[in-house]
This record gives sequence, structure tokens and C-alpha cells, in this order.
Amino acid sequence: MGPQLSVVAPLYNESENVQPLVEWILEALGTYPGTFEVILVDDGSRDDTWDRIAGAAGAHPDVHGLRLGRNVGQTAAMMAGFDHARGRVVVSLDGDLQNDPRDIPMLVAKLEEGYDLVCGWRQRRQDKLILRKVPSWVANRLIRRLTGVQITDNGCSLKAYRRDLLDRISLYAEQHRFIPALSASVGARITELPVRHHARRFGESKYGISRTVKVLVDLFTLKMITTFRSRPLVGFALAAIPMLMAALAFSLLWAYAATHFAPLKSEAIVFPGVALLWLAAAFYLAMLGLVAEVALSSERESAREIPTAWEVR
Amino acid sequence: MTAEGTLMEPTTERSDAASAAGRLVSVVVPVVERTDDLVALYRAFAGELDRRGEEHEFLFVFDGGFTAPPELVALSHAQDSVRLFSFARTFGETAALRLGIERSRGDVVVTLPAYFQVQAEGMGPLLDALRGGADLVVANRSPRVDSWLNRLQSRVFQRMLAGVTDRRFHDIACGVRVIRRPVAEALPLYGDLHRFIPALALREGYRVDEVAVPQHPNDARTRVYRPGTYLRRLLDVAAFFFLAKFTEKPLRFFGLVGSVFFGLGAVTGLVLLVERIAGQGIANRPLLLLAVLLIALGVQLMGLGLVGEIIVHLRSPHRRAYRVRERV
Repeated sequence: MGPQLSVVAPLYNESENVQPLVEWILEALGTYPGTFEVILVDDGSRDDTWDRIAGAAGAHPDVHGLRLGRNVGQTAAMMAGFDHARGRVVVSLDGDLQNDPRDIPMLVAKLEEGYDLVCGWRQRRQDKLILRKVPSWVANRLIRRLTGVQITDNGCSLKAYRRDLLDRISLYAEQHRFIPALSASVGARITELPVRHHARRFGESKYGISRTVKVLVDLFTLKMITTFRSRPLVGFALAAIPMLMAALAFSLLWAYAATHFAPLKSEAIVFPGVALLWLAAAFYLAMLGLVAEVALSSERESAREIPTAWEVR
Repeated sequence: MTAEGTLMEPTTERSDAASAAGRLVSVVVPVVERTDDLVALYRAFAGELDRRGEEHEFLFVFDGGFTAPPELVALSHAQDSVRLFSFARTFGETAALRLGIERSRGDVVVTLPAYFQVQAEGMGPLLDALRGGADLVVANRSPRVDSWLNRLQSRVFQRMLAGVTDRRFHDIACGVRVIRRPVAEALPLYGDLHRFIPALALREGYRVDEVAVPQHPNDARTRVYRPGTYLRRLLDVAAFFFLAKFTEKPLRFFGLVGSVFFGLGAVTGLVLLVERIAGQGIANRPLLLLAVLLIALGVQLMGLGLVGEIIVHLRSPHRRAYRVRERV
């Protein structure tokens, strides 16, 4: 029988933060009624983060360490922690002490009220305005707008999950900021709670503004996948319709020009050529939709494709 | 494929391997291209391993078109530690290596070309490096004794790869590698990826070391291949580059290329539109064809990227980007 609560924190070059983080978490969970475990994931740090984690794991029976072969990024590191977490409830937080572990019991209590996912919402964010807060504000607005999931702060790592939800979403690439949107797509009940946020005490931030474009591409991808993953053919057919219309328009133009004017040889080529190009493109997209359907067919039967739900009593 | 196997596997065997020096070493020899006297090769390397007190087995894998020399067959009858396998048709070096790894029983797998590429004395330092904690050790032929043309080809290949791999290798294509068994089994080997084995291992999160081993004079013969071979090599590098950078995010690649096409087409179309409004007819402008072609191509490329994304998304439950090195 595993513990009831798992706390997962990915760390990358956070050597000075390990000890205070463990102390904070253990202190915060001192009053937690159930059993718990803390999983610290070392994401291929180059400093002595791993030695500190190993030390902490040796000193406390509830603390476990996981060392990854190389630096794989926050999403995959979190996924590693989730895969090894045994708790019915899993809480993730940043390893840089900017999240406050004292908020954990509150998030868990909220989850028990009947949610699959409780997201932290950082109050009075202690980060640089131009580099961090403005891009984050824009990204959050875009994510809300495109995914329709009304979570104010998608970038906050402090979140509580029901195990059942984690079994249904698999994160890859840099998707950790889309957890609420991905969860919503499998039918999760989501809410948010204000949490405390602290300025960085040790070490350096690993974020920069360069990722904004990547986030935009990822967001577009996510939108497409969550909308059309169940029926890709529909999505591709929808995209093909404007092309068919264009093909039709140019055919009409051609017919009109052919009947009303005596066209030169060059004119007799351009309009039918354009019409055929649009037609070919539309046809190609429809075929691509079929390929996507074929690619998905075997995965569809997986039990993971069943949405998550609460038992009504 | 690789990720499932290593998903939950804690690699605690490191310390055991370091302590037990007398474990079985499996030498896999893919006979795929050129061969020297295989019996002499066996005697040289087996002799060196015996001298070091290593227990060993040799697995020769003959690709289609190659037959085992009678002396070697006789040797394999005389000694259980020599095993021969033969493909019915040509499958290539990667397949031969995979078969050898699968059939071998050693805790350490050594891949060895079917000709004298390095001096047999090199086995010692290579095995020592593995027991010193590396997961894979690749030989770096040094000092080299071969012609400038060989060195130039090798140099160009390394240079091309330098931008693709996570680290710069000195002699990534060297066929002499010493690999820990679980690592050898976890490598995503298919197609012609054997040339990139050290880079693959590095990408999977294993520790890869290079050890300088003196080159054998037999390896010095000048090699010139047909143009098709060089083209294949180039495509291999391109495929590896794509796999390394975009396996998780195909849309980043296809989207980028697609939007360039789309953008060019849209600009051309806008220019035509402005000219049309200014009064110039477009029915006799082949430029219109170009604009539409570019737009259509752009949309198609993005669609292709999207299909890739959907496949990646649905495969993601079975794949993990991380590999756990240690647990406490």
C-alpha cells in the first residue's frame, strides 16, 4: 500500500535549494493526516544537486530521489516524478522555492471537494516585469481564449492532481503549461486557488523570453490536437473546403472568360491551372486526413481514451 | 520502443559491474562489407582478452552474400565460445549488430568490425573505461596511420555531425565500441543508425566516453566509395538530425518550412491583387500560378506536420523522454 499523497518537485541546478525545500515540505505536511512521500527529481543537474537530494533521502524515510540520465526539461522531469508517484493525490511544485509548500494542504483539501485538478494562482508574483510577467500575462490570455479553460495562471507549477487524471494525460515536449487544457480535454473538473509566491532566494532562473514563439506554435498544435484528435478527417476536410471553393471560383472565372472573350493562349492556361492547383491541394488535405485516421485507429481502443468521471452517490 | 524497456528501470548495476572484473564479454562481429582473415582477427582479439583474464564469446554475423570461411567453421565446432550466424539475404550492419546483441549473453557487448580497424591491445583501455563508470565507450583511432584522403572523409563526416549531436565526437564512425548490456539493448537501432551509436546513447541519457586506441595498418587502405554511398551517408545524417531535433515536435519543422512557402505565396498573391486593382488583368499572369502553388504547398506541409503531431500525441503514453539513472 503506497502513501496517500505524493509531492513531486523537479530540480535543475538547485543545489542550495534542496535542503530548505525538503524542510519546508516536511514542515508543511507535519499536520497532514495521511501518509505521504516527497519525490525530488534531479533533471540532469551539473552541480551537486543530486548529492544533496541523496543526502535528504537518506535522512528522511518519506523523501525519495530520482536522477535522470540527462537534462530533459521541466515537462519530462515532472512526468518522471508522476510515473514514480504512488499517491492517490499528487502535488507538483517548483524546486526553486518560489512556490510555498504551506499551500499544499489547502490544495489537497480543495481537490477532495470534488475536483480532478486544482491549479495554483500566484498572488503578487515576485518576478521581473518585462521578462516574465508580461509574456506570461499575454500567454495566459491566449491560452484561455483558445482553449476555453478559464484558469488564470497556467504557468504556476503548484498544482494538485487526482491519480486517475494523471493516468489519462501524458505530457511530452514542453506541455506542462497546457496541463489545464489537456486535462479539460479528457473531462477533468478543474478549479484554481490563490497561492503564495516568493522571490528566488538561491540560484538562477532558467526562463527567458525566447520561448514565446515556441509557446505560440505549441499552443496552436494543442488547439488542433484537442479539437480534432477524435476526428482528424473532419478537421482536414474543413480545411479543404475553402480550397475547393477557390477551385470552383477559378473554374467559373475560366468559363466566364472563355465564353465572353476570345482569350489568348496564355490566358487559356492560367485560370484552369489555378483551379486545378486548388483542387489538388484540397484532395491532398482530405487524403492526409485519412492517413491521420489510419494512424489513430489502433490507439483509439486504448482504455486511456475513456474520459475521466466522478462517481455520483 | 526503447523507452518502454527503460521506463522504470533503475540502473543500479553500475556498481556491480565495476566490482566484478571477470564477467562475460561478448564480441559481436558484423561481416557486412570488407573482411580480413577472420580467424586471425579472432586469435588477435581473443588472445588479448585471454591475456587480460576476461571470459569471452565471439559472435560472427554474416550478412547475405558472405559465407563463413571453413577454418572459422571448424573453430566454432571446436569452441563453444565462437558462434556463427548467417542472414539469408542482405540486411546490413545495423541488423547484424542487433542480432548479435540479441543472441549474446555477456554483460559487456563489444562491437568489432570484421577487419583490423584498431590494434588488439586497445581492448584493455576500452574495457577499463567502461568499468570506470561509462555506459558506452567508443574507440577513437589515434594515432591514425592512414592516408590523408581517409582522414579527410572522416573529418568531413565528423564536422557534419558536430552540429547535430549533443557533443563533438572525434571518431564517431569507428566500429569498435564497448557497451554495457542494458544500454546495448535499449539503443533505438534501425535503418543505418549504427554509425550514430555513440550519439544515440548520449541522447538516451547514457554516459559515453572516447578512448584513444592505435589504428591498425590494415585500416589504412584508401577508401573511395561510389557517389551513391556518399549520398546515403548524407541522408543518414539528415535523418538523424530530424530524429534528434523534431521527433517530439514535428510541427515545429514542417510548420516552419510550410509557413515560409505560405508567406512567399501570400506576398506574391497580394502583389497581384494590388496590380489587379490598379487595372492590370491577371488572367495572363503565370505568376498567379506560382502564388497559388506556394500557398497550397505551404498548407500541405503544415497539414503533414499536424499529422505527425497527432501521431506523436497518441504515441506519447508509451514513450518517455527521460531515463532514470538512479533512485534513492
